Amino acid sequence: MKSFLLEIVTPDKLLDKSEVTYVRCPGMDGLFGVMNGHIPALIAMKTGEIKVTKDGKDLFFATSGGYADISIEKVELLVETAEQADEIDVKRAALAQDKAKEHMSKGDVDYIQSKAKLDRAVNRLAVAKRH
Amino acid sequence: MANLKDIRDRIKSIRNIQQVTKAMKMVAAAKLRRAQERMEQARPYEERLSQVIHSLLPDVDRELLPLLDVREVKRVCMVLVTSDRGLAGSFNSSIIRRAEDEITAFGREATDLICIGRRGRDYFRKRDYNVVSDYADFWNELSFTHAMEFGEDVIEMFVSGKVDEVHVIFNWFKSVGTQEIHVERLLPLVYEGEEQTLSERLYEPSKDELVRSLIPRHMNVEMWKYLLESYASEQAARMVAMDNATENAGELIHDLRLEFNKLRQAAITKEVLEIISGAEALRVQ
Repeated sequence: MKSFLLEIVTPDKLLDKSEVTYVRCPGMDGLFGVMNGHIPALIAMKTGEIKVTKDGKDLFFATSGGYADISIEKVELLVETAEQADEIDVKRAALAQDKAKEHMSKGDVDYIQSKAKLDRAVNRLAVAKRH
Repeated sequence: MANLKDIRDRIKSIRNIQQVTKAMKMVAAAKLRRAQERMEQARPYEERLSQVIHSLLPDVDRELLPLLDVREVKRVCMVLVTSDRGLAGSFNSSIIRRAEDEITAFGREATDLICIGRRGRDYFRKRDYNVVSDYADFWNELSFTHAMEFGEDVIEMFVSGKVDEVHVIFNWFKSVGTQEIHVERLLPLVYEGEEQTLSERLYEPSKDELVRSLIPRHMNVEMWKYLLESYASEQAARMVAMDNATENAGELIHDLRLEFNKLRQAAITKEVLEIISGAEALRVQ
């Protein structure tokens, strides 16, 4: 399979810059996959899992959303957070999940904010299991 | 006049303090290096994000973007970035003073304050300012999620119309030796010039919606930059302060050692004199 250049850019750092053969991202209306020769596009991503196929191996990242900027030369994923499956702090994610659930049941803080936090925590836990 | 033992004790305690300040200086230096790296690493994301926004803006109706909404300013929100801990020279005191001036200039009643960092919070809480929210004890594990959290807060205040402008007061990292206090307007955001259109692309969802979601994210990055600037400034200020403290302790020890030696000399001389005069007295008899 032909490879292309993928960059995963977060505010913390340029997480990954390498030749890959396939990347799958969580789009707003469902997953979308990118292979070599994709037409240029700008696609928003929501909280979910990014799958990258590099040298025949699959890597998984948990993300809280961002954008995929696909051009002829390369694919850039501009994401606010991206954690590789084996780097996720499961304990902290579980704690965040409990806290968000508690906030939501009490209803004392913004529901939408808590729901977003819960989604992020659930997603991180799910991706961590991929490791 | 102090006796020998007193001086010895003082030298000992100053030396202990010197060791502490030296250690703090080294810790601050290490943290500073890390902070500078992070500032460096945040740049690509920021640049690309604003590139994307600039490429989209020409095609989007600005009226639909609440974060660009310029209104008559009746109420402002000041975001004050201080540190959690002291011992950093005038890092906190001067920024607090500046914040107070700014607040007074606009009117205390018409200003909502968001305090980031314990120092600022304690100060303004105690004096009954309108502190609408505060965050403390997070600097040690500073991460982008903090910027997102503060960002959400600020956006909520602005979009709901509680405030008409949001300003950030922070220490800007100019160099290790100099940090400058900057006051910058965070909201409404301004995008001007260098608008560029890219070749045909596929957009999903629509351009409008993309920009609407991009802009808050861009604001989060701005917030993140302020936090990193302040963090680097704090470490630099602490490093310099602790370096001075270590040097001063060295001088103090030097002076005390001089005094100690003089006293010791005097004591020895006195003893020798006593012995000689005693011997003299015996010989005469």
